[in-house]
Amino acid sequence: MGKAFDPALIFEFLPKLLAYLPVTLFILVAALFFGLWLALLIALPRLYKVPVLSQLAAIYVSFIRGTPVLIQLFLVFYGLPAFLQLFHLDVSRANPLFFVIATYSLSSAAFFSETIRAAVNSVDRGQIEAAYAAGLTGRQAFVRIVLPQAGMIAFPNFANSVIGFLKDTSLAFSIGVMDMMGRGQTLISATAHALEVYIGLAIIYYLVVIVLEKGFVRAERRLQRHERKWASA
Amino acid sequence: MIQLQNIRKSYGSHEVLKGIDLTVNKGDVVVILGPSGSGKTTLLRCVNFLERPSDGQVTISGFTVDCKQPGKQNVLKLRRKTAMVFQHYNLFKHKTALENVMEGLVVAQKLPKEEAKQKSLDVLEKVGLSDKIHHYPSQLSGGQQQRVGIARALALSPEVILFDEPTSALDPELVGEVLAVIKKIAREGVTMIVVTHEMGFAREVANHIVFMDGGVIVEEGPPDEIFSNPKEERTKQFVRRITPEWSYVI
Amino acid sequence: MTIDIPFIITCFFEIVTALPLTLVITVIPLIIGFGIGVVTALMRIYKVRFLHRIADFYVSFLRGTPVVLHVLIIYFALPLLIAKLSDQFGWGIDTASIPILVFVLTAFSLTAGAYMSEIIRSGILSVNQGQVEAAYAVGMSTRQALWRIVLPQAIGGILPNLCNLFIGFLHTSTFAFTVSQMELLGKANVVASVNLKFLEAFIAAALIYWGMTIIAERITAFLEKRVTAYNRGGIA
Repeated sequence: MGKAFDPALIFEFLPKLLAYLPVTLFILVAALFFGLWLALLIALPRLYKVPVLSQLAAIYVSFIRGTPVLIQLFLVFYGLPAFLQLFHLDVSRANPLFFVIATYSLSSAAFFSETIRAAVNSVDRGQIEAAYAAGLTGRQAFVRIVLPQAGMIAFPNFANSVIGFLKDTSLAFSIGVMDMMGRGQTLISATAHALEVYIGLAIIYYLVVIVLEKGFVRAERRLQRHERKWASA
Repeated sequence: MIQLQNIRKSYGSHEVLKGIDLTVNKGDVVVILGPSGSGKTTLLRCVNFLERPSDGQVTISGFTVDCKQPGKQNVLKLRRKTAMVFQHYNLFKHKTALENVMEGLVVAQKLPKEEAKQKSLDVLEKVGLSDKIHHYPSQLSGGQQQRVGIARALALSPEVILFDEPTSALDPELVGEVLAVIKKIAREGVTMIVVTHEMGFAREVANHIVFMDGGVIVEEGPPDEIFSNPKEERTKQFVRRITPEWSYVI
Repeated sequence: MTIDIPFIITCFFEIVTALPLTLVITVIPLIIGFGIGVVTALMRIYKVRFLHRIADFYVSFLRGTPVVLHVLIIYFALPLLIAKLSDQFGWGIDTASIPILVFVLTAFSLTAGAYMSEIIRSGILSVNQGQVEAAYAVGMSTRQALWRIVLPQAIGGILPNLCNLFIGFLHTSTFAFTVSQMELLGKANVVASVNLKFLEAFIAAALIYWGMTIIAERITAFLEKRVTAYNRGGIA
């Protein structure tokens, strides 16, 4: 057990922890970037009911939704090097950051693909018919009409997932990543004041979540401004 | 006997009821008429404090509640002397027809289950739904739901039943069955206050008509007088517009 | 790439012995959290003076911070707190003798309470106001209306969310491993390090979680049909 609890230490630790916030945010942004593209790849065969591919996609999504992210992290950490060895790629000495970003990309892709699928399916069928009637091709109808509307429907769900994944990045330390949590671990080893470090971390995560939430609410209002105009007209 | 004295109700600076006095005797069937926005539904909901009046007094068979300081227990006691039939039925969605009728008897009046059940079966028979007692509201037509609503109110043996536009959410072809049930229990001497747009029904069943407009009672009296020989200009206009035939026929 | 598939099966049977502990860490917090959730949701809906602000902050803070931190903070803070109270009132409790599981369950219960509060609140608010009015009109008190009419209907509506929360907590229970609990992940870790076959052990653990999740989804679908039978229409 550590030394006596000293609230003043929390404030002493805050700047030291905050210095590693960029690493946490980098993991989040990189994972979201790859995750979204991958999500689209997974969602498309299911939307267009491509045989075999859509079943594979469904199993992938079910597996990711059915397992804890911590397990996924370990699976990637131990499994990816073995897998890439088949292609004579040696990543066993790669930066753990690489495995974390890979895990959260793969994981967020499954969740986002579900969000995309639900949103696309909820776009009014009449919109697509109107696009076809106006002479758009199938691809144009999807890209110009369906996706923007689906994006708006999916946004709140997407925002929730982003906040969820931000909190999940706190697990990266378990494979030795030097993010905020990782820095916290080194502070604990150095000072033996675990509680103060963890409280400091909680404060930082909470503030970041609040900022993100506020930002998302604003973004949502902007996205839906044309709908609101209709409502008040 | 029900007595409303100087009932006022405001939403912010907007006064919806501007001091209403109304007396309803035992066995009376009082129908409140008036254009929309006249405050008639608000007045009805003030009787059982679903809307809390800003001022005034509500008395039901000797028990008076002062609207300025009603007190939870007094409101509960007052409500247990009344029952209400809602425009949108408001049957408890997770309970069957029989359970809907029993609910108030068992929970509010603390009747033994068996007795409550017998009583409920009796009133459900009266509204012609003996074959639907185990159906959930979602499995009943609008007319059937409203008849369960009436049974639920009737089972409580209240001093007065308050009807809030009981037929206006119904498809036209279902209005008749509900009005017939209300007529039937009116003839049995149940005291009721009814807010409705059904003029034929008002004329035939009511023994007292109240015409409201702009938050005040403009005129009241027996149906013949109000319909055939209204005194106030606003009543005349209203009656002229909606009689002789106000029906759903398209 | 070498994966020892028979060893995955060996691992599976060894790791699955930890399933009861995982279920305890999942279910008990959800039950306690449900109680916390109902109370705090009511405080927030009825805007109980002063208390609703505390409830608001509790929900927002716990939902806004990583659960693994809840576990770690309670693990370090609760013994300190108990020791201090014990000194003050002379209870003579030795905090070292309290099983770590107690701290884990406390942390997860607090977490579950915050998530439950939000779900229950939205469930209660989604019950039609007319249902409450009808309850009042047949002479029920506020409390009777709440317990007999509002809550039963709210539960029906939030059942899918409760199932998702169960699955979420099944996965969250892995965080107990950070304070060395021998639940599924902890066990998998031991099996992995003893045999130096990490990938196989974690694949086995993943299969157990996956299977549990699918079972939970099936059960919910079944329950959902039954609980909301009254909404289905048609003839009974």
